[in-house]
Amino acid sequence: MRKEDQERAVQEVIGRVVGGVAERGSQALENAIADTLYWERQRIEKERPSAQRTRALARLDAQRRALLGGSDPERKRLLHELVEGFAREVLGYFDPKVHALATRAVPVGLRTLLKATSPRQLLRGSEHGLGGLEERLLVDGEVAHARALRERGTVVFCPTHSSNLDSIVLGYGMHEEGFPPLLYGAGLNLFSNPLVSFFLRNLGAYRVDRRKKAPLYKDVLKTYATVSLELGYHNLFFPGGTRSRGGHVESKLKLGLLGTALDAYYHNVKVRRPRPRIFVVPMVLSYELVLEAETLIDDYLREQGQSRYIITDDEFASPRRVLQFLSGILELDTRIHLTLMEPLDPFGNRVDREGRSLDGRGREIAIDRYLRGVDGELRRDPDRDREYTRLLGERVRDAFFRGNTVMPTHVVAYAAFAELRRLNPGADLYRLLRTGGNHESIPLPDLFRRVDELRGRLRALAAEGRLRLGERVATLGADDLIVLALRAFGTYHTRPALERVGDRIYHRDRNLLYYYRNRLVGYGLEDDER
Amino acid sequence: MSAERVAVLGGGSFGTVLAHLAGRNEHPTRLWMRSAERAAELNAERTNARYLGEHRLAESVVATTDLEEAVRGAALVVFAVPSHAIREVAGEAGAYLSGEQVVLSATKGLEPESFRRMTEVIRGETCALKLGALSGPNLAKEIIAGQPSAATVGSRFREVIAVAARLLHGNNFRIYGNHDLVGVELAGALKNVIAIASGLAHGLGFGANVRALIVTRGLAEIQRLGVSLGADPLTFAGLAGVGDLIVTCGSELSRNFRVGVGLAAGKSLETIFDELGEVAEGVNTARVAHALARDRGVAMPITESVHRLLFAGVTPQEVLEDLMTRKARYEVDFDYSAEVPPR
Repeated sequence: MRKEDQERAVQEVIGRVVGGVAERGSQALENAIADTLYWERQRIEKERPSAQRTRALARLDAQRRALLGGSDPERKRLLHELVEGFAREVLGYFDPKVHALATRAVPVGLRTLLKATSPRQLLRGSEHGLGGLEERLLVDGEVAHARALRERGTVVFCPTHSSNLDSIVLGYGMHEEGFPPLLYGAGLNLFSNPLVSFFLRNLGAYRVDRRKKAPLYKDVLKTYATVSLELGYHNLFFPGGTRSRGGHVESKLKLGLLGTALDAYYHNVKVRRPRPRIFVVPMVLSYELVLEAETLIDDYLREQGQSRYIITDDEFASPRRVLQFLSGILELDTRIHLTLMEPLDPFGNRVDREGRSLDGRGREIAIDRYLRGVDGELRRDPDRDREYTRLLGERVRDAFFRGNTVMPTHVVAYAAFAELRRLNPGADLYRLLRTGGNHESIPLPDLFRRVDELRGRLRALAAEGRLRLGERVATLGADDLIVLALRAFGTYHTRPALERVGDRIYHRDRNLLYYYRNRLVGYGLEDDER
Repeated sequence: MSAERVAVLGGGSFGTVLAHLAGRNEHPTRLWMRSAERAAELNAERTNARYLGEHRLAESVVATTDLEEAVRGAALVVFAVPSHAIREVAGEAGAYLSGEQVVLSATKGLEPESFRRMTEVIRGETCALKLGALSGPNLAKEIIAGQPSAATVGSRFREVIAVAARLLHGNNFRIYGNHDLVGVELAGALKNVIAIASGLAHGLGFGANVRALIVTRGLAEIQRLGVSLGADPLTFAGLAGVGDLIVTCGSELSRNFRVGVGLAAGKSLETIFDELGEVAEGVNTARVAHALARDRGVAMPITESVHRLLFAGVTPQEVLEDLMTRKARYEVDFDYSAEVPPR
C-alpha cells in the first residue's frame, strides 16, 4: 500500500471498527473489550517467559482495570487503543527491517543458496535445478479478461489453497502475466522462509497473526481488506481460509472475507466513487504433487470434525524438503496450472470485459439495485448481504470445481483407491487406511481397467465443462498414465503412495493415495461406484 | 407509505387467486396473462370464469397482457405459470426485472428437461436474487370462496418472507416463513405424484386406510429424495409437505388426484387432460422424480409405480399388487434399507 494511503487506511479502519462496536451500545462495548483482553491473555500466556511477555501481561492488566472502572467514553478510548494497536500491526509490515530479520532466521543452507543468486534468478535458471519453474507454470483461463477488469474497478483474486508454495506460484505467475502486486493477508509462519517472503512482498502481503483469536482482530483484518479495496488495491484472498487438508477441491468457503467485496462495493456506491465496481476472479491451482501432502492428510484424518490447529512444523518449514520438492517437480514432465476463471461481481453474476454484470441471457444488470429498496434508497441489510455473499460463494466454489485440472496422480490414486475399496467391501475407511485391508497389492490389469474407465468418465465431465484435463490425461492412454503417476509418486514423498513390483501395484502409503484421490471427489464419480 | 405494487404472472386458477389476495389487501396488482380476451373479461366483469366461475375479484387487480407493465416497479413479482412455461416467461420478464424486486415462484413443479427447481430456472433467466417459493395446501376454489387457508414461503432471504407476508397475508390467508427454500419447493412438487397414486386408489374403490397409507409412505419417500437434494426433513412435516399432501391426496378439487381417478377408470392421459382443462404438474414431476431417484439411488416405490403406470403401460391393478407385495420394513428408515427379517 502506498505510504500516503497507509495512514488513511489506519484511520478508516479504526473509525469503522470502533464505530461499529459503539453503535451497538455500552454492553457491546464492554463485551468487545473484555473478549479481546481475554483472548490476548490466552495467547500471551502460551509464549515463553521473557521481558516482552511480562510487559504485555502487565499492559493487559492495566487495560482490564481501565475497563472495570471506566465510563463509556473511557471505554471507547480503550477500544480505540486496542483497535489501533491491531491496525498498525497489520498495516505496518512493509518495513525492510522486518524482512531482513525474517531472512536472517532461516537455516544456513538455503540462505547460502539465496545469497548466491536473487530469488528471481533462482527461478529463471540456476544450476540447482530450479530453473525450469518458469516452463512448468502454466497460467491459463481468463487472463486477458481479468487484466481488462483492472482498468474498470478493483479485482479480488480468489485462489484455491493446497500448499504454502501457492504464494510463490501466485506471486511469480501474476507478476509474469503483468499484474501489479496484490494485497494479501499472509500468515506469520510464511514470513520465516525468505524465498516465500520475497514473493509475499511481491504480492504486497500484510501480516496476519492467526494466533490472535479475538473477534476484534478479525474485524480489523476484514475492515482493512474492505478499505483497501475501496482505495483501489487489488486483493488476493484464499476463500478456503486454510490449505485444503484432505486434498479436496475446497467446497466450504469462508464467507466473511469474501463478503468484503460486497462491503467495499456498498461503500463505493454510497460515496459515489467514480469506479465503484469490485470484481471477483476465482483461480485454481492444480499440482501433480503437493509439498505438504503427508502432513496435511495426517492432520485431516486426525482432526476431521474437530477444530484445526496451525501446523508449524510441516514440510514447508524445512528448506531441504522444499528444495527436494522443487527439484522433484522439475524432473517430472509436469505442469503446475494456475487457471483464472470467469470473473464475477460481488453477487455472483458473471461480468464481461467492460466490467458490466450480466444475467443468464446476457443482459446488463444494474447491480446497485440489489442494495436498494423499491423506493431507490440505498439500504444496509446484514441478513440480505450475507445471502448475497453466500450466492457469490456458491459461484466461486463451482468455479473451483470447473477449473480443477486433473493430473495423472489424481486419476491413478482415485482408481487405485476405488479398487482397494472393492477388494475390501464394507471396510471402515480408517481401518482401510491403517491396514490396507486384506490385499497388499492390486493386479496391474485391474488397475489398468479402472484407470481406463475413469479416464472415459473424466473426459465426459471435461466435455461438459465440469472440470479440466491436464494435457497428459487428455491425450495419453491408461498405461502411460499409470507409469507417469508411479514415477511422480516415487519422486518426492517419503514413501511412494503406489509402487509397481512385477505385474502388481503395491499401496505403500494409503493416506497419500487417499489425499490425491480426494481431488476428484465432488463430481459424482463416487456415486457411480455404488 | 404508498401501497406497494404486486405483479402476478400467470392467469390460471392459482395465479388469479394470489392476485386477488394481494388486491384484497389494497395493493395495486397487475395480473399478467397471455389471453387478451380473458384479460378484458377480468377488467370488465371482475371475473376469471374459466378457472374460478363467477367469483368476483378484488378491485385493485388489473389484468394485462403487457409483461413490462406488470413487472416494472412491482415490489413483489409472483410466477404462477406451468413449469414447462416458466423458462420462457422468466426469460421475457427478465428484461424488466431489477435487483431490488422480490420474486416468488408459486409453481409446484420441476423443469422437465433440466430437473431444476422453479427458482433455479428463474435465477438462470433473470437478475433476480431475492427469490422464494410459495407452497402449501391451497385449493384455489376454497381460497377464492373466502375460506381460511395458509401457505409457506420458503426463502433464504428474510426480506422475501417479510415482503410476501406484508403483501399477501390477510384475515383468511396466513403466511408462514421457512428458510429451507429447497425443501419447500421439492415438497410442493413431489407431493403431486403421490396425489396421483391416491386418486388412483380412490378410483379403484379403496377407502380411507389406503389413502392414509399412501399419504404417510408417500411422505417418507418424497422426504428421502428431498433430503438427498439438500432439503431439511422437517420442512416435509409442514404446510408444504404433510399439509399439501392431506389436501391433494383427498380432494376431488386437486387436479393431480383427478388424474389418478381418471387412470383408474381406464381413461388415457390425453382424455384426462382435456377434461381437466388445466395442467396437472404431477405427470411431468413423476418423470423428473423417477429420474432423480434413480440418479441419487433413493428408493421411491410409490413414485416408481406411478411412473410405470403413466409411461410404461402397466395397469392400475398391477401397480397396487406390486406395492402391496413388497417385503415388510421398519417404518423409520432413512435409506430404505431396513427390512423386517422373516422369522
